[in-house]
Amino acid sequence: MFKKLLLATLTLLGLAQAQQLTILSHESFNLDKKLVAEFEQKNGIKLRFLKAGDAGEMLNKAILSKAAPVADVIYGFDNSQLSLALEADILQPYASPVLPALRPEFVLDRSYRALPVDYGYVALNYDKAYFKDKPLPQSFAELAKPEFAKLLVVTNPATSSPGLAFLLATVKTFGEDGYLDFWASLRDGGVRVEKGWSEAYYTAFSKSGGDRPLVVSYATSPAAELFYSEKKLDEPPTGNLLLPGSSFLQVEFVGILKGTKQPAAARKFVDWLLSRPVQESIPTEMWIYPTRKDAKLPEVFKWAEVPKAPATLEPRSIAQNRERWVSEWTKVVLQGQSPEAVKKGRK
Amino acid sequence: MRLSPLLALPVLLFLALALGYPLARVLLLGLGEGLGETLRNPYYWGRLGWSLEYGMASSLLTTLLALPLAYAFRYRFPGREALLSLSTVPFVLPTIVVALGFLALAGPRGLLGLNLQGTPWILLWAAVFYNLGLVLRLLVVLLPGLETPLAAARTLGASPWRAYLRVGIPLLAPGLLAGGGLTFLYTFSSFGLPLVLGGQRYATLEVEIYNLLSYRLAFPEATALALAQLTVSAGVTLLYLWAQARLALSLQPEAGPRPLPRPKAWALALALWLGFALLYAPLLALLLKALQSPSAFTTVWNSDDFTPAGEALWNTLRFAGLTLLLALPIGFLYAYAVWRGEGPHPRRLGPRWLDLTGMLPLLVSPVLVGLGYLLTYPQLSGSLLLLIAAYALLSYPLLSRALLPALRAMPKSALEAARTLGASPWRRLWRVEWPLLQPTLRSGAALTLAAVIGEFGATLILRRPEWTTLSLAIYERLGRPGATPFAEALALSVVLGLLAGGVFYLLDRGRGTVG
Repeated sequence: MFKKLLLATLTLLGLAQAQQLTILSHESFNLDKKLVAEFEQKNGIKLRFLKAGDAGEMLNKAILSKAAPVADVIYGFDNSQLSLALEADILQPYASPVLPALRPEFVLDRSYRALPVDYGYVALNYDKAYFKDKPLPQSFAELAKPEFAKLLVVTNPATSSPGLAFLLATVKTFGEDGYLDFWASLRDGGVRVEKGWSEAYYTAFSKSGGDRPLVVSYATSPAAELFYSEKKLDEPPTGNLLLPGSSFLQVEFVGILKGTKQPAAARKFVDWLLSRPVQESIPTEMWIYPTRKDAKLPEVFKWAEVPKAPATLEPRSIAQNRERWVSEWTKVVLQGQSPEAVKKGRK
Repeated sequence: MRLSPLLALPVLLFLALALGYPLARVLLLGLGEGLGETLRNPYYWGRLGWSLEYGMASSLLTTLLALPLAYAFRYRFPGREALLSLSTVPFVLPTIVVALGFLALAGPRGLLGLNLQGTPWILLWAAVFYNLGLVLRLLVVLLPGLETPLAAARTLGASPWRAYLRVGIPLLAPGLLAGGGLTFLYTFSSFGLPLVLGGQRYATLEVEIYNLLSYRLAFPEATALALAQLTVSAGVTLLYLWAQARLALSLQPEAGPRPLPRPKAWALALALWLGFALLYAPLLALLLKALQSPSAFTTVWNSDDFTPAGEALWNTLRFAGLTLLLALPIGFLYAYAVWRGEGPHPRRLGPRWLDLTGMLPLLVSPVLVGLGYLLTYPQLSGSLLLLIAAYALLSYPLLSRALLPALRAMPKSALEAARTLGASPWRRLWRVEWPLLQPTLRSGAALTLAAVIGEFGATLILRRPEWTTLSLAIYERLGRPGATPFAEALALSVVLGLLAGGVFYLLDRGRGTVG
């Protein structure tokens, strides 16, 4: 009775929801406003975008609120979080008719609960002004030397998806044992750890006025710097430091949340997100590559380099070990334990 | 007919559902799989260690500053009353507003030009900022009671110092313990300030619990840490209650401050005003910094990337109103039941026990409450009922705490007269007691409202995008690229600070009956 009364009060207080489709995404999500307005008009669906922090935070939010979903569609979890999203059983399958138009190597989920929207490469960026007459590290392993460690800002893999991708790159390159030693030297050398990509790139990176000329970001960031620069520049003020093994392929997915009241509208949205006009607009909106085979890239993307040998890991291996790698990383880098002690703790 | 068991029943039922059961679930989980794993990890011991250090350093520092201040307040000087009511300001200011004030003063873009974010100093300063007024007010009412015993000691031939050491300090000790204990409790389990100002190194247990939960979904570890925190808090609370029971000095209605010769009075006033200006500098910095980018006050109402101010403001007001609907009856019933139980024939399982039970919510941390709700009522995670219940739970003790003294102070004669004239208990409540309690009810409601308007911890854990309050709207704008989000966060903080303060002072009529 009390609950009914309360519900009645709530409805009176303007809690009644209008018919709209809610998309849960991470903070870097951006779409062309014209295209969004077009979609809304054509289909009579109002789109509402909820940005819930970094990709990891966003996915946890969706998992925590599984019983009462906060949205209809979730976009922006990547290949390192794919297993988590699938295990948590928050998505419903949708074999979109658009699937054949996508690059097959990115369709990683054969149950079609997560469809690839875009991909990119997490890579090290450096501030050209700082390194004008100073040497850059020549190999991935050299990065852990004290003189470079104190110049680097990374993001916490527990809270940030590029941070997790970079951690996976170190696991792939240095192996199960070597990666902890690599991180321990970074820690002792004074690496700075930030919570999320925005904090690292926009406050700690020397390009944005911070004190770190090396940052974990994306291979497309220099192109974005050029695109958004206030003065006409001939070349970007930052560069990619593509040391072999130091970049990692990131594929971002969209999925329809279980428990949505509007599956039809959600499917329309997914098809639209994978349609050619939207796929051709997202490179300059979010600085990633579209997964559609026939989508053309904008001119400015000539500054976006594709790493020659990006590190990749099997989704299954990521699924089995991600939680352990992150917690071992936390123990070594944030909690200051020795790599030996952490390795001993493995059963 | 005895009303008290009947009255206490709804309160106890609410407590069982909103606190007992969720808390039990958390503790069981914490005692289960998480405890051993967590206890073996030295890092968590370090977290506990820092939280303890922070709590102790804050309570020592606050008490040491409050004692001489309280002595200064025994004298009359220009602006004395204004300063006393000013010292209650922090009670009603939302945590996140204060945190932004400190960022505006000593953050990376602060006015000082010195970045103290991520250092323990800014956290200690914030702790003193929050708790100095609390301890000060406690001591200001205690000190006059020292006069007579000290004078007696002097008459018996003790030197001033000896009298103070052997008579004054022992008499003051329980008061200092109580003030220090409360300060410890508040800082040891504080959340908002360390979250925003402490960085990763100076995170308290409470912040660690939140991080484990929201980033790694590590329920077992989070609950194990919650258990550790609860144990410490419970121990300190018992100590605090023990000290309170031992307050040998009766709280005297103030005999009025003593006169001082004019030049001395002005010198004292100047020193104290300067001291308070320094302490409250973060609030001034917040205002100045916010006014430096006035455009934020307009852009904040329709921002694309963040919750617009209007929506957040509406949510905040709506939730505060709904909470009051629940917290008022609970707080009133509870205080009334305790008071009734204290009547002429107290029960064995009497008011003392009820008194303690009802104060439990002040013990548990908001983050812990949120965590318990997520574990216990997942199917309700989309229902506002959950958030409102958490708000009511965390805020009704404030109301009861304000009401109880007023109930106890009601003129017996009026009640007796009503009874003799044959008024039923309900009628007495309606026609005699209720009108007498009006002013106190208003200030209690003011406190409750201010607490809900600024609530941060539980809101953050139970957060749903459509429930974004002003507190969360500020938090989501922190650490974002560019200067605009920070400017908007400052603007929103000014709005929220004025709202919480304004609501409080309007309802309370500036009587400042806090603490």
